[in-house]
Amino acid sequence: MKSIELKKVTKTFNGETILKDISLFIPAGQFFALLGPSGCGKTTILRLIGGFEEVDSGSIYLGQEDITYQPTHKRRVNTVFQNYALFPHLNVFDNVAYSLMIQRKPKEEIRDRVVRILRAVRLERHMYKSIKQLSGGQKQRVALARAMINNPEVLLLDEPLAALDVKLREQMLIELIDLQEKMKTTFIYVTHDQFEALTVADSMAIMNPDGEIEQIDNPKTIYEFPISSYVAQFVGSTNLFHGILHRSENNVFTVLVASLGTFEVLIHDKKDWMRDGTAVIMSVRPEKILITKKSMDGFSNYITGEVISIVYYGRSTQYNVRVKNNMIVQVFEQNEEHFEKEVIDYQDNVYLYWQKENMVLLQK
Amino acid sequence: MAKGKHGIVTKMNKIRIDDEWSFFALVPALLWQILFLVVPVGLIILLSCVYFVGYTPVVTGSFFAHVFKLAYIRIIIFSLFMGLFTASLSLFIGYPTAYFLAFYVKDWLKNVLLFLLILPFWTNFLIHVYAWFFMLKRDGLLNDFLFSLGFIKEPLHLFNNLFAVSLVMLYCYIPFMVLPLYTVLEKIDPSLLEASQDLGASSSQTFFKVVFPLSIAGVLTGFILVFVPSFGEFVIPLLVGGEKYALVGSVIQYLFLSARDMNLGAAFTCLSSIILLLSIACIYILFNKKIIK
Repeated sequence: MKSIELKKVTKTFNGETILKDISLFIPAGQFFALLGPSGCGKTTILRLIGGFEEVDSGSIYLGQEDITYQPTHKRRVNTVFQNYALFPHLNVFDNVAYSLMIQRKPKEEIRDRVVRILRAVRLERHMYKSIKQLSGGQKQRVALARAMINNPEVLLLDEPLAALDVKLREQMLIELIDLQEKMKTTFIYVTHDQFEALTVADSMAIMNPDGEIEQIDNPKTIYEFPISSYVAQFVGSTNLFHGILHRSENNVFTVLVASLGTFEVLIHDKKDWMRDGTAVIMSVRPEKILITKKSMDGFSNYITGEVISIVYYGRSTQYNVRVKNNMIVQVFEQNEEHFEKEVIDYQDNVYLYWQKENMVLLQK
Repeated sequence: MAKGKHGIVTKMNKIRIDDEWSFFALVPALLWQILFLVVPVGLIILLSCVYFVGYTPVVTGSFFAHVFKLAYIRIIIFSLFMGLFTASLSLFIGYPTAYFLAFYVKDWLKNVLLFLLILPFWTNFLIHVYAWFFMLKRDGLLNDFLFSLGFIKEPLHLFNNLFAVSLVMLYCYIPFMVLPLYTVLEKIDPSLLEASQDLGASSSQTFFKVVFPLSIAGVLTGFILVFVPSFGEFVIPLLVGGEKYALVGSVIQYLFLSARDMNLGAAFTCLSSIILLLSIACIYILFNKKIIK
């Protein structure tokens, strides 16, 4: 396992700049996710690391080694392609053995290693099947085994689960995490699916549609403390309130929102832009909000509103509440049903409560 | 859901009617095949071993015995050689062309180049031959060109020889090689080539381990499409070979049209066809073995 570092990488296609001065460090042995919307350049980053595209400027390092202009077949990096790219004229065994056969390894060694890795991805019974006979999940595992058999320093995964159904995807995610822990390889996982990224990643980078990296951190920090309204909205759902920073004393800041009143926000590290009188955005996640018809104590923030729609999701229910400034606030409530709960219905007037710890202050 | 049920029943009936009628769609093609393929082939086979005394047919092997002579066999072997030679050469020239077209040319240009490739088919064959005549004759374009550059002192003998025959045959049949090759190469997913390089294969290893095996169906089709007409060619040796080189087609034409010996012609046709079919079978097995490897 080795680290990957991009230094000021720029890439344009037909005059259109996809990546501009991207710098990114991915530590060795990490399960790293690159999360961004379609067309943001995340796949381009992967293709640059894999050697399928060449940078316009900047450099790429594998560990200490500059691999910017190293040809694809010499890089100790392997890729799991989005459409698997399995060789249709070879069977499962030969697909997986491909890189070893290229290296002219002895027959017995090839056999041993292929069998071992096929056992690891639970495909040993399908060793001599042709690719056409495999299901989507099995093809996925062949692609994984084929990329892993050569013990790459870094494994690149380009939306590897996009073609699988939800159940299979969840199962494959867990298998991927297991495999990464076993092999200790650096994984770089490109996806547009925030659920996948949050599940698998040790740390992740969020990219915006302009090909810039907005935030790099571990999933929990990204989810709980997004640093921009873009990240807050892209990862998970959120409610954004536009207001004016009213008073910033100690760690508890007060923000004034027109026709809704004041809100308290707990700040861990004060930034330079957080000055009195600045326009700010506050983000609060829908699941952090308590919805009730009764007045309650012990919460730092509250607003009132009217339920305008209720969406039942099975494990949770989403309430859409129109508050005084006509904004629609989303609230998720777990349907745990341990105790009898009050029934909230369409057009009920409700209180929405949340704590100052659950609000994040963002720059406008 | 009575309506839905009714809907399904109607649909099933419709499919059955379609199936019954679809047979009739085959009738024109079937009639065509029977009239112009099955009947003539049957007649040829019949003529090759049957002659008539008055109205009574007599079966004999004498026609076959007659064509089973060294002179005829030599012509068949020469034709086989010419067919294989033309097909192999057009494979070596056609493969890079098709590869380039499939992987390196922009989409709009692809159509232009493919159009140019089949453009010669739109003009009369005799015009091609005349064009080559003016290119290759003693004071033709090619000789003039080489002479003016000082490469040659004497004009080269380029026409009415084997060189001219194979050149024009190659020229005529190369599109039959390029088109099927292009079709299979174009279908190869470029990510397979990337995967191969990703797994440590160099460009040439990628070509021999991935691209070529995946294009083998096109190679086979192209090879046979060139081999078969080259084997039976008679116009090209006649027009540019100075009537010195007889291929199978020339002999068949001679026996039927000049010597007017239907039985000998039929026997020779049968013999050469059997050899042709056998060699196609051999080619087929050879290429398929390569796939397994």
